[in-house]
Amino acid sequence: MIILNKIISFYYREYKLNLSGFQDILTNIIFFFVSIFIFIFSIGPDKEKISVLGVGIVWTLLLLSSTLSLRKFYQDDFDNGNLLIMHLNGFSFGFIAILKTFSHFLFVQVPFLISIPIACVLLNISNDKLIYLFFSFVVGSFILSCLGSISSSMNLMNQRNFLLGSVIVMIFSVPIIIFSIGIINMEENFNSLISILFGILLIVFAINPWASGLCLKLSIENN
Amino acid sequence: MILVKDLSIERSDKKIFENINLSLGSGKIILLKGKNGSGKTTLLKAILNLIEPSSGAIYWKGKLLKKHLYDFFNHVTFIADKTSSLSKLSVHENINIWKKIFSSKISNSQIENILQTLKLDTFVNQKVNSLSFGETKKLELLRLIIENKKIWILDEPLSNLDDETIDVIGQTFEDHRSKEGSIIYSSHQESEINVSEEVIL
Repeated sequence: MIILNKIISFYYREYKLNLSGFQDILTNIIFFFVSIFIFIFSIGPDKEKISVLGVGIVWTLLLLSSTLSLRKFYQDDFDNGNLLIMHLNGFSFGFIAILKTFSHFLFVQVPFLISIPIACVLLNISNDKLIYLFFSFVVGSFILSCLGSISSSMNLMNQRNFLLGSVIVMIFSVPIIIFSIGIINMEENFNSLISILFGILLIVFAINPWASGLCLKLSIENN
Repeated sequence: MILVKDLSIERSDKKIFENINLSLGSGKIILLKGKNGSGKTTLLKAILNLIEPSSGAIYWKGKLLKKHLYDFFNHVTFIADKTSSLSKLSVHENINIWKKIFSSKISNSQIENILQTLKLDTFVNQKVNSLSFGETKKLELLRLIIENKKIWILDEPLSNLDDETIDVIGQTFEDHRSKEGSIIYSSHQESEINVSEEVIL
């Protein structure tokens, strides 16, 4: 019961923090839509071509937009000592990583989920593909949050190179994009491809608390 | 309660300190004194098991601390030299978050009294990033009362505070000591706070 109260208060804090920094979430969404417009203008008025490239564009931009927020994944809480307070309040570093990953998914990725239908209209993506895109993004974005947790905790130890985290996420997100795009383009293989994505999610979810927790511990030790 | 025995710490082949011994029992206040870089913060971090010592050990209630870490954490409040309050939120919102996180039973009237004593009552609805460093430091010290734990570990709690606030903190320390609480804090400045033991680093 005590641990449940602590988890609830953790998310209350995250909610308040994200609400006060709502402009950051909004900036991410604006970046996403402005980039879509740039793609549309650069491809030209050919509806068919936009429709074919649409899913790839959405996924690439979702990836880029979510890496924009990685800088703040742990950095603020590390700088003001809140990571340490959470640890002293009874959370292991690994458990903090799990809680922060869910928080990132909830406050950064879910707003993108809501934006996907509008993006589909803009990019002339058919309604029957929308549901597959939505499913693949739910699973894929949670994988990205796990990868984001690992890379940003590594960044805390390497304060000089903030781009490293984004590069790591982008490299490891290649298989996620391959299978996610596969789900949309090969609808008959939906079950097998979504199972592979779930498999990747389970592996990354299992590695995340271990890897991120270790990086958090080392960065606090060396701070 | 806490026993530090022959503790030595090295970092990058450089000795920070060696063979430190101290014992923090109920109703005791220990001051760690030393210049900048003498290892005061490192010793506090080692007590919190955040740094692995090169040699020596730390005991909690007679048992090795690292094997009873979360029981130890249940009895400790740590305040670092940087402020943990969330700068984008107001003083009131920060207090509410702390009350929830630490499941504090402290009443609102008690909080108001402390805010008045620390002269923070006029800033309650202001965002923390509009407060001065001294004011945020005073707000940080409010966490000691909200957490209501037996052991206080404080890193430079007196820096950037005026004499009047230091007197209030000295009185708070005395109250805590009279309730069988224990305090270990670091400082590089002289103060009138009545301590049980000084450890020079």
